[in-house]
Amino acid sequence: MMTEHTLKFFEEELTQLKADVVRMGGLAEAQVVQAVRAVASRDVGVAESVVVTDEQLDALQHEIERCAIRLIALRQPVAQDLRRAVGALKLSLILERAGDYAKNIAKRALVIAHAKPEIPLTRSVQRMGELVAVRLKEALDAYSAGNVEAAKSVWNRDEDIDEHYNSLFRELLTYMMGDPHIIGTCAHLLFVAKNLERIGDYATGIAEIVQYEVAGEDFTDPRPKWSGVEPAPPVSEAEA
Amino acid sequence: MPVLTLPWRRAAPPLQSEAATPAEQNDVTLFAAALQELPDAVLLVRREGTALPKIVSTNAAARGMLRIGSDGEQLVSVLRHPALLAAVEDTLATGKENTLSYDTGGLRSQMLRVWVRSLPMAVLIVLRDETEARRVERMRVDFLANASHELRTPLASLSGFIETLQGHAKEDSEARERFLDIMAGQAKRMSRLIDDLLSLSRIELNEHVPPSGTCDLSLIAREAADGLLPTISTKGLRIEISAPPPGEAIAVGERDQIAQVVQNLLDNAVKYSLDGASVSITIEADVAFDSNAPGPDRASLRDSGGGHLTLLAAERSYETRYVAIRIADSGRGIAREHLPRLTERFYRVASQKTGEISGTGLGLAIVKHIVNRHHGALMVESAPGAGTAFTVYLPSVARTPAAGEVAPASTVTKPL
Repeated sequence: MMTEHTLKFFEEELTQLKADVVRMGGLAEAQVVQAVRAVASRDVGVAESVVVTDEQLDALQHEIERCAIRLIALRQPVAQDLRRAVGALKLSLILERAGDYAKNIAKRALVIAHAKPEIPLTRSVQRMGELVAVRLKEALDAYSAGNVEAAKSVWNRDEDIDEHYNSLFRELLTYMMGDPHIIGTCAHLLFVAKNLERIGDYATGIAEIVQYEVAGEDFTDPRPKWSGVEPAPPVSEAEA
Repeated sequence: MPVLTLPWRRAAPPLQSEAATPAEQNDVTLFAAALQELPDAVLLVRREGTALPKIVSTNAAARGMLRIGSDGEQLVSVLRHPALLAAVEDTLATGKENTLSYDTGGLRSQMLRVWVRSLPMAVLIVLRDETEARRVERMRVDFLANASHELRTPLASLSGFIETLQGHAKEDSEARERFLDIMAGQAKRMSRLIDDLLSLSRIELNEHVPPSGTCDLSLIAREAADGLLPTISTKGLRIEISAPPPGEAIAVGERDQIAQVVQNLLDNAVKYSLDGASVSITIEADVAFDSNAPGPDRASLRDSGGGHLTLLAAERSYETRYVAIRIADSGRGIAREHLPRLTERFYRVASQKTGEISGTGLGLAIVKHIVNRHHGALMVESAPGAGTAFTVYLPSVARTPAAGEVAPASTVTKPL
C-alpha cells in the first residue's frame, strides 16, 4: 500500500514519464519535417543534421524504457496507471522507429541531392511528407492532452496517407517507364514514399495508444481500410 | 472669445474603468498588468531541481496562442519543439539569452520567433507570430515562379502565331482570321491565369486570419446558379438546388470568399458535365463532420476505380456543427489515383482526348485555401463514368429567424 507521500511522488513520476515521451515526440516530429525538407529542397546540410540527430532519439528511447520498467517494478501500478506506464513505453518504441524512417529518408535525400536530373516528383513527395508530419503532430497533440476525440479523428483518417502513397507510387512508375535515366532517383523516392507511409501508420498507432490509455479499450468502430497492392499500370498508359 | 486648446493639450477624460486602489497604482503591479496586454505571448518558466520546467505564469496572448491547461503545467506539454526546449535548457543552465525561429507545423502552421531570457530563478519566453511577414516574402517568390512558368505556354503560342502572321501567312486573310481568334483566346487565358494567381496570393496572405461575418449558403448557391444560366442553356444542362430556406444555413465566413468557392465548384461541375445532364447542389444546415460516415455507395465507388477522399480535414473540436454544401455532376468522373492531387496547383487529369485546355488549373487550390481559412473541410467522391461530388463543410452559426420572404426548399433551374 502506498502512503500519501509515495502516491504524490508516484504521480509525479508518471507525469514526468509522459513529459519525457512528449519531448521525444517533439524531436521525432522535427526529424520527419526536416527529412522531408531535405528531399524537397535537396539540402545536404539539413539531411546530414537529421542523420546525426537520430542518436538523441535512440538515447531518449532507452532512457524512457528504463524509467517505465523501473516504475512498473517498484510501484506495481494497476488499471489506468499501468496503462499510462505501458503506453509511454510503447510510444517510445514507436517514436524511435519513426525517427529511424526519418533518418533513412534523409540518407536517401543525400543520394538524390547529388543526382543529375532534377525531377518535379519531389513536389508530390513533399506534399505527402507534409501530410504525414501534420498527422504525426495531431497524434502527439492528442497524446499530450489526453484527448480521445482528437485521437479518434487521427485514427479515422489514415486513408488519406494511403491514397497519397498509392498515387505517388503510380506516378513514380510512370516516370520510370518514361525515362530510364531517372530510375535510380525514382527508386529512392519509392522508398521515401514507403517510409512516409509507415510513419503515417505509426501516427495511427499513437492514436490507438491514446485511446487505450484513457479508455482502457481499443477503438471499436469498423474502419474501412484500403488493402491490397495496386497492379502496375499497363505499358500502353506510359506517357512518352 | 472661446479658448481653443490644441487637442493634445486638453486634459484626457478619466477612464471609465474602476478607479484603481492605491495598491493597484503601484508601479510594479502596473507593469505586470502591462505584460498581460502585450500582443506577443509571454511565458514565465521555472524549474525545481531536476524536474522538467513548469509554466509559472502566462499573459493573455500566450493563452490565446497556445493551449495552456493550468498554471504549473509542464512546459513540454505546451511547447515541444526541440530547438525551443534546448534553448530554454541552455538559458536555465548558463543564464545566456537565446533566440530562435521555427515553424509550428500542423494544418495552419505559424512561423514563430522566440526570445528566451534569464531571470532570477526563472526564464522568460516571448513568442512572436511572424507568419504574416514571412508569408509575404514567400508569396512573392512563389507567385513569380508560378506566373512565369504557367504563362510561358500561352505566350509561346502567341509568339508562334505572330511569327506566322508576319511571315508566310501575311497575305492569307482566312488564316489571319483564324489565327487572330486563337491568339485572342490565348491572351484571355493569360489574363484569367493572372487573375487567379493574384486571387490565390491574396487568399494565402490572409489565410491565417480567421474570418468574421456570416453568409447564407442558400442565397449564395442560388446566385451562383443564376449566374450560370447562359452557360447551362447552351449545354442543355439543369441545376437542381435542394436547400433550406434563407436564414437557416448560415455559416461563419466572408461572403465573397464563400461565393467564390461555390462558383468555382459549380463552374467545374458544369464544365465537366455532358450535354443534357443535371448538376445538383445540396445544402444541409447543422451536420457534424465525419470523414468516415459509412455509406453504401462508397464501396461501389471503390469497385469502379474511384473513391472518396478528404482533401482538407477540419481541425475544430468535435462538437462543432457545420453547414454542408455538396455539388455533384454526372460527368466523366475522376479515377482514384488522381484524387490526392486534385487541389494541387495547375494539376490537370490527363485525358485521352486532346481538347483545348480551358480553365487555369487553380480553381480547386483556391477552394482549398479559402475553406482552410474558414476552418472547414473539403471532401470529394468520384468514380470514372459515375460523376464527381465535392462537399464543403463550413462551421455554422446558431440558427437565426429568416428575415423577408421564404424561398421554397427545392428549386430546379432550367434554361429559359
